[in-house]
Amino acid sequence: MQLNPSEISDLIKKKIENFDVNVEAHTEGTVVSVADGIVRVHGLSEAMQGEMLEFPESTYGMALNLERDSVGVVMLGAYQHISEGDTVKCTGKILEVPVGDELLGRVVDGLGNPIDAKGDLGTKQASPVEKIAPGVIARKSVDQPVQLGLKSIDAMIPVGRGQRELIIGDRQTGKTAIAVDAIINQKGTGIKCIYVAIGQKRSSIANVVRKLEEHDALSHTIIVSASASESAALQFIAPYTGCSMGEFFRDKGEDALIIYDDLTKQAWAYRQMSLLLRRPPGREAYPGDVFYIHSRLLERASRINAEEVEKLTKGKVKGKTGSLTALPIIETQGGDVSAFVPTNVISITDGQIFLESDLFNSGIRPAVNAGLSVSRVGGAAQTKIIKKLGGGIRLDLAQYRELAAFAQFASDLDESTRKQIERGQRVTELMKQDQYSPMSVAEMGVSLHAANEGFLDNLEVSKVRDFETALQAYMKSEYADLMKKINKTGDYSDEIKNGIQKGIEAFIKTSSW
Amino acid sequence: MSELSTLARPYAEAVFKRALESKSAFEWSNTLAFLSVVMQDEEMTAIIANPKVGQEQMTQILLDICQEQLDKEGTNFLKILIENDRLMLAPQISELYESFKAEHEGYVEVDVISAFALTKEEQKKFATMLEKKLDKKVHITTSIDKSLIGGFLAKAGDKVIDGSIKGQLQQLAKKL
Repeated sequence: MQLNPSEISDLIKKKIENFDVNVEAHTEGTVVSVADGIVRVHGLSEAMQGEMLEFPESTYGMALNLERDSVGVVMLGAYQHISEGDTVKCTGKILEVPVGDELLGRVVDGLGNPIDAKGDLGTKQASPVEKIAPGVIARKSVDQPVQLGLKSIDAMIPVGRGQRELIIGDRQTGKTAIAVDAIINQKGTGIKCIYVAIGQKRSSIANVVRKLEEHDALSHTIIVSASASESAALQFIAPYTGCSMGEFFRDKGEDALIIYDDLTKQAWAYRQMSLLLRRPPGREAYPGDVFYIHSRLLERASRINAEEVEKLTKGKVKGKTGSLTALPIIETQGGDVSAFVPTNVISITDGQIFLESDLFNSGIRPAVNAGLSVSRVGGAAQTKIIKKLGGGIRLDLAQYRELAAFAQFASDLDESTRKQIERGQRVTELMKQDQYSPMSVAEMGVSLHAANEGFLDNLEVSKVRDFETALQAYMKSEYADLMKKINKTGDYSDEIKNGIQKGIEAFIKTSSW
Repeated sequence: MSELSTLARPYAEAVFKRALESKSAFEWSNTLAFLSVVMQDEEMTAIIANPKVGQEQMTQILLDICQEQLDKEGTNFLKILIENDRLMLAPQISELYESFKAEHEGYVEVDVISAFALTKEEQKKFATMLEKKLDKKVHITTSIDKSLIGGFLAKAGDKVIDGSIKGQLQQLAKKL
C-alpha cells in the first residue's frame, strides 16, 4: 500500500477530528516482578481471566493467574523494557484477533499481525481467540468428504468435513508433507485452508509458504506462524487464533480446513508457561489442564447445520451448512504413542493417520501404517466410487500384512497364499505417491480399479508405478469425458465401471509403460 | 509486595476484629501507624535483620522504644509479631487495617492529582462527584503533578479515573 504525504496528513486529520475525548475509568496495578516472560502485578482487583492488560509502550500481556493480591501475567511479545513499579492497566477486553476473507493469502503471527510485508490486512471484523465450541443442537453429522488427494489416505482413512483427524508420527516421517498436499488439493474446491505453524523453524515455515505459492495454493490459505523463537505465550495462543479465523468461514456457511503443526510444541509452550506461573506439575511435568487445552481447541472443529448458519449470519446465508475440519499433528518420540500428549489427542480426535519411520525409510511414502490408522466418522463421507474400491484395497493390505510376516519362514507356499502376497506387494507399491502431486477422485478411481480387477498382478512390482503413471496419462487424454463425469458425480455405476474397465483394457493393448 | 500483604492479612483481620469488639478502632489505628514508622526506621530494620539479636533481646529493645506509646493489647500484639518473626510486616498490616476500617465505615480514600492546585470549592465539587460515582463517602487528599498538563487523575485503590490531558493524548496516540 503506497500513500503520499498529503494523504497521510489527511488521514491523520480525519482521525483527530473523529477522536472523541472521554474520561476513562480503569483499574490499575503495579509490576512486582518480571521473570522469563511472566510478570506479577499487584492490584488489578477487577482483572478477568484471560484479559488483555496494557503495559507501558503499548505492550500487552494476558492475565492467567488471578490470585488474592496479585495477578500472574504472560507477556505477548517483547518485555525487556518492563521493570518493577511500572503501572499496568486493565483493558476490559479478552484477546481478539482479526478475521475475514482478507486474510486469505496472508502470513500472520499468533496475534493476527501481518508478517509478510504485504501491507495492512484491511480486515473489518475481529473475533475473540477463545470461544466455546458449537452446542449439540447446532451440529450436523459429517457426510461430505475432504479429499486430501492421497490415494492411501482417501481410500483407507477418509476424512469428512467437520472431522478431526490426527496425523501422528515420529520426526521426519512426512507429517507436514501430508498437510501441505492436503492444502494444495483444496485448490478450486472452495475449502479455505489455515496452516498454523507452532514452534517450528522459520526456514521450514518459509519453505511451506514457498511451496504453496509455487502450486498456486496460497490464495485460499492463511498461514499463522508462531515460530520457535517467539515467546511461549504466542506459541500457546496461535492455534486458537487460527481456529477463530477458520470459524469465521464455518459460521458463514463455508467449509474450512485447519492444520495445527504441531500440538506437541503447543503443549510444551503451555508447560513452560504453567511451570513459570508455579502451577503444580503433573505427569511429564505438564499442568493438570493440558488435556483441556487440546480438547477445547479440537471441539471447535465441527460441522454446523443450516439453521445455525442462518442464525449466525442473521438470515443472510440460508440452506448452507458450515464446517471446520481439523488435522492436528502430533510428533512422537521413538514411535511412543502411549506418552501423555499423544494419548490425550488420540482420544479427542475422530481417528488418526499413523506414520512410521520404518515404512518411510523403506520407500513407502506417504508412510501410512494402514493397520493402525483409522477414521471413525469419515466412512460416511466417502464418495461412492472410492468407498467401493477402497474396501478391497484395505482388505488386500490387511491379508498381505498377516501373511507376509508368516511367509518369511516358509519356502513352499500354496497357490492362493502366494497370490495374495503378490497382490499385497503390488497394492503397497501402488499406494506410494509423490509429494506435491495430489490426485483427483477419478484418477484414484482408475488406479484402485486397476488393482481390484487384478490388472497389476501380471506386472513386475518395480513396474507398477510406471504402469500407473502411463495409465493416468492415457485415461486423461483418451477418456477425458469419463474422468470429468467421475469427478463430478463420484458414482460407481455400471456405466462408469465398464468405462474404466474398457479404458484400462485398451491401454494394456498399447503396452506403452 | 503481594506476598507480604497476603502474609499481613490475617494479622490485620485479627487486629481489626479485636478493635471492633473493644471499640478502640482509632487507638489501634495510631498504634499500627506508630509500629509501622518504627519498623521502617533504618537502624531498626538493621537490628531486625540481624540474626545475632535474639527474640528476648528484641522484645527488650522494642519495649524500651515503644513503652509509652503502646497500651497492654498493643504490647501483646508486638510480642506476637516478634515471636512469629513478622516484624517487617508492620507497614502492610497498618495499610490493610486502614482499608478494613475504611470499608467498615463506608468511605474510600481518593487521591486526586491535578496539574494545578485545587481550591476548597473545587475539592468539594470533586467530593460530591466522586461520591456519586463510587457510591461511597470519600476522603480526598490532593496533590499536584505538572506533567498531567491539565485536568485531573482520581485514584481510589486500584481504580483510576483519568480525566487528564496527558491521558487523553495517550489515547489519541494509540488511535493514530
